[in-house]
Amino acid sequence: MSIYDYSSDEVLIERFKEGDEFAFDLLVRRYEQKVYQLAYRLTGNPDDAADVAAEAFLRMYNSLKRFRGDAQLSTWLYRVVSNVFFDFRKREARHQHLPLEMPTDDDDEPYELPIEDESVDIMGHALQQEQKRVLMEAIQQLPEYQRVMVVLFHIEERPYEEIAQIMGLPLGTIKSRLNRARNALRQLLEPYRELFGVEESPTTGVPQEASDAL
Amino acid sequence: MRCEQVKSLLNDYCEGSLSEAMRERVEAHLRGCAACQREAQFTQAIWRGLSAMPEVVPPPDLHARIMTHVRANTRAREAQGRVALWRWAGAAAVAAGLFVMGFFAAQSDGVQAAFGFGAKPKPPVQTPQPVQAGVFLEYRTTADGARVPVLEARMNREANAELRYAPESDSNPIVVWSGRLQPAKTVEIPLQTLLHTSGERVLTLHWTLEGQSRVLYVPAGYPPAKLASLRLQAKLGDALRQLASTYQTPIEWVPNGAEPLVVLDVQDATLEDALQKLLIGSNYTVKRQGDFWRVTSR
Repeated sequence: MSIYDYSSDEVLIERFKEGDEFAFDLLVRRYEQKVYQLAYRLTGNPDDAADVAAEAFLRMYNSLKRFRGDAQLSTWLYRVVSNVFFDFRKREARHQHLPLEMPTDDDDEPYELPIEDESVDIMGHALQQEQKRVLMEAIQQLPEYQRVMVVLFHIEERPYEEIAQIMGLPLGTIKSRLNRARNALRQLLEPYRELFGVEESPTTGVPQEASDAL
Repeated sequence: MRCEQVKSLLNDYCEGSLSEAMRERVEAHLRGCAACQREAQFTQAIWRGLSAMPEVVPPPDLHARIMTHVRANTRAREAQGRVALWRWAGAAAVAAGLFVMGFFAAQSDGVQAAFGFGAKPKPPVQTPQPVQAGVFLEYRTTADGARVPVLEARMNREANAELRYAPESDSNPIVVWSGRLQPAKTVEIPLQTLLHTSGERVLTLHWTLEGQSRVLYVPAGYPPAKLASLRLQAKLGDALRQLASTYQTPIEWVPNGAEPLVVLDVQDATLEDALQKLLIGSNYTVKRQGDFWRVTSR
């Protein structure tokens, strides 16, 4: 055990309940990266992510006194971040129309192989970078609930049980929502198959009958 | 199995959550269907890409932004927070293994030099005695072998004091302790957490003692946790000079009588351990004094 692990979350929460502001400061420091990271992955931009993170910690400040420790603080915070994110999106939706398609005003053309570049490493790196960018963009196109599912399960790598706690939903619902979210994401990424090393599109439109031996 | 069926099972298949029998049926189909095979590859590639997403680095002003937002939207509880500090110390700190802040009636002028409050030394009899205090860091080894920094203050009489900590050089210091200092009273302050929080920076603590204020700069990683391996045979003074240079920590030596020849052979040792080992068999002993080590005759 590292000497820095001495102040557990529980200890800091107790101190905060007794009116100690400094304990709150330490809790924020402990979790701000995680909170910001989740917020960034959900909102897709640094400014909104910082706003979501700040609001999440404000809610933590206001409700920490009622925190009973039934769940891990990190789980509880993920839940708060998700809720803040939903609220922000609702507020935004009242003020503007959300784009339904992938943005087309993007200056990036669909992925093109840098054929003049002979360096395999640079090419591989560029590919990865492009893949990340495309993934981030696609995630931003998912409906909020699906987005949260994909981010929590595939990027933050939280287990089903924790996601169920975060979302306050039964395990079965989580699994079926994740399933839908995965399908939707795959659909959004359809134009970028090449980028994922899968060369041709499947014959779309024509239902394919496999020569099923079994 | 038909393509449509396989596609509907693709997520479960890639996740490995299908039953054995189901998985075999899907695999049999995949062997004969290039299109579904590609779909499976595509799915797996997407998931791999997702789990390879790099960590997100927050902007440098994130903490300040969060705290500003929180403070702006909550009533300032800082003033109340001060009241709770004595309780704070008592409640959980023992379990948390934090530090002891001891207040001793005894005065030590030599030690006080480190972070002393340079008050006038001659106390008049009628008017309240001017407060004299030294605040400095100690370093102790607990029963279970953990090395814990100890913030210690010594003063001559009761006094009101406040300790603040500034997370960033330009941010407002947060009160981490305030109350009445009493000789022979012990409280605990999570200094270790502060040192950790300060990361690579220099930790800055602001002390106010009845209007006098002092700033205490604590180098990152204090107390030095640096480990070194050394093998040397030298006169004590030379060996100590060598140690001070290796560990970049001041060592004070009070020579007494003949200078003994010492042998040191340590591996990945802390300075304290190295000093202890060095002095075995000599008539010298070592003790930490504020931010330096002091070697004196027993």
